[in-house]
Amino acid sequence: MMMSLFLAGSSLLSFNTGFAIWILISLIVFLGIMYKFALPPIIKGIEEREQSIQSSLDAAEKALREAEKISKDNEEVVREAERTAQSIRKEATKEVEEFRAERMEKAKEEAEKLIEDAKKSIDQEKQKALQELRKEVTDLTIEATTRLLQKNVDSETNRKLIDETINDLSKN
Amino acid sequence: MFRHVFVSQSLSPLKVAFVTLLVLFGSFGVGLSASATGVANASDADAAETEESSSPIDVMGKIADHDYIESPFGKVYLPRIFWVDGQFYTYSSTKKALASGDFIEKEGVIYRADETPITIDLSITSHLVYVWLGFILALLISLWAASRYRRGIGRTSAPKGALHNIYEILYLFIRDDVIQGYIPKEKAPRYTPLLFSMFMAIAFMNLFGLLPWAATATADLTVTATLAFVTFIVTQASGTKTYWGHIFNFPGVPLLVKFILTPVEILGLFTKPLALCFRLFANMLSGKIMIISILGLIFIFTELFGATVGVGSSVIWVSLTAVLYGLKVFVALLQAYIFTLLSAVFIGGALEEHHHEEHDVEHNDVKVMDPINA
Repeated sequence: MMMSLFLAGSSLLSFNTGFAIWILISLIVFLGIMYKFALPPIIKGIEEREQSIQSSLDAAEKALREAEKISKDNEEVVREAERTAQSIRKEATKEVEEFRAERMEKAKEEAEKLIEDAKKSIDQEKQKALQELRKEVTDLTIEATTRLLQKNVDSETNRKLIDETINDLSKN
Repeated sequence: MFRHVFVSQSLSPLKVAFVTLLVLFGSFGVGLSASATGVANASDADAAETEESSSPIDVMGKIADHDYIESPFGKVYLPRIFWVDGQFYTYSSTKKALASGDFIEKEGVIYRADETPITIDLSITSHLVYVWLGFILALLISLWAASRYRRGIGRTSAPKGALHNIYEILYLFIRDDVIQGYIPKEKAPRYTPLLFSMFMAIAFMNLFGLLPWAATATADLTVTATLAFVTFIVTQASGTKTYWGHIFNFPGVPLLVKFILTPVEILGLFTKPLALCFRLFANMLSGKIMIISILGLIFIFTELFGATVGVGSSVIWVSLTAVLYGLKVFVALLQAYIFTLLSAVFIGGALEEHHHEEHDVEHNDVKVMDPINA
């Protein structure tokens, strides 16, 4: 058994020149056909597809970046608009505030002026009334005095009474 | 009830597979015994070997190269072509060669009638047939794929169909991970067709060996040596100055060390493809021997313990072989991949431009200095 194994083994490990020549020739023919006919369309086809995929990916990336840029621009515009709107609103509020304050001031002034005028006219009226009153009182007093004098001019007590009356009146 | 149906349904494909396997190996077994008797007849002359050749299986006969191919329908004898002393002889089979009277057989070796040994035996052998089959299948599939790419399938659209997809996956794997991983990217396209063709051819040769009656062409040293020779030639042909410099005059090493290093490097030139050749050969051979030996146990057991034990134990051997077969499919593709990968590594190593930092600086200095000096 060992013997046959050894013998067979030696033939197994032997190099057969004629066989090698055949293989080399076949390999050259095989590689020749592969190089000339089989592989070029495969290599080129796959490369083309890869390139087209790559270019589509690039285009998609570019489109995405553009879209991002546009949306960013849009955002910027919206923000700008918001900012403007806010400033306009602020200005408007300020203006309204100012206007209101002005109006209030004016109203207050007018009111004060009105009050002052009223006071002044009241005072005037009062002075006028007092004057009139005084004149009336004087007239009345003169009349009363005249009447009293007609009756009792010399009476000391009466004189005192009249003076007191006049004083009282003038105080009022 | 449903469960029963389910179980029986799930079992049926398994059963079919098992029966198919048994039938396949059954035919294999017939082949084995047939070749065993054939060898017994052939070596009848050698009296010392009669005892050994009564063994029920002939492992070596199954592995060695033959002048016939086995098919499920019987042996097909192949033509013999001899080149003796500058003269060609062609016969349609060994028998015809012997019958013509021009050639005689002595102890299993064929001589010309005047006992001159054959100079070069250019006979078509079983291994050569399977080498051709491997090449032809690789070619047919590649041409088929090429026609599809030419029609635009895979070029403008995605590849369609399982075969096309598998083909492309293999191609892209070899191109991107194997070749471009080890060969500089700008030079890789030059080697892609060669290495991919080699991968396809080796893979198909390996896979053909899985057929029970077929021979594994890559389990023949001549085949693997020739393939490794191609890698060797391509490697040396594409060697750069740096590569040769590193072999004959290793930079940055004392002179005395160079005397040791240079022979080692020169030896390395040849050991690399040699390792490539033996790795593929041994891997494919061992798988084949393993399968034959394990299945042969059925016949050995029958011989030793009777038919009942032989047939009964066959369940173990057949299931073990089934597992091994799965492994062999994997190994067949793996070894084709490894052969391609190492070829790429060797070629990539030969293509290496110098990468020593000091050297680059030196050269740059020289380049910068020159115009000033001039």
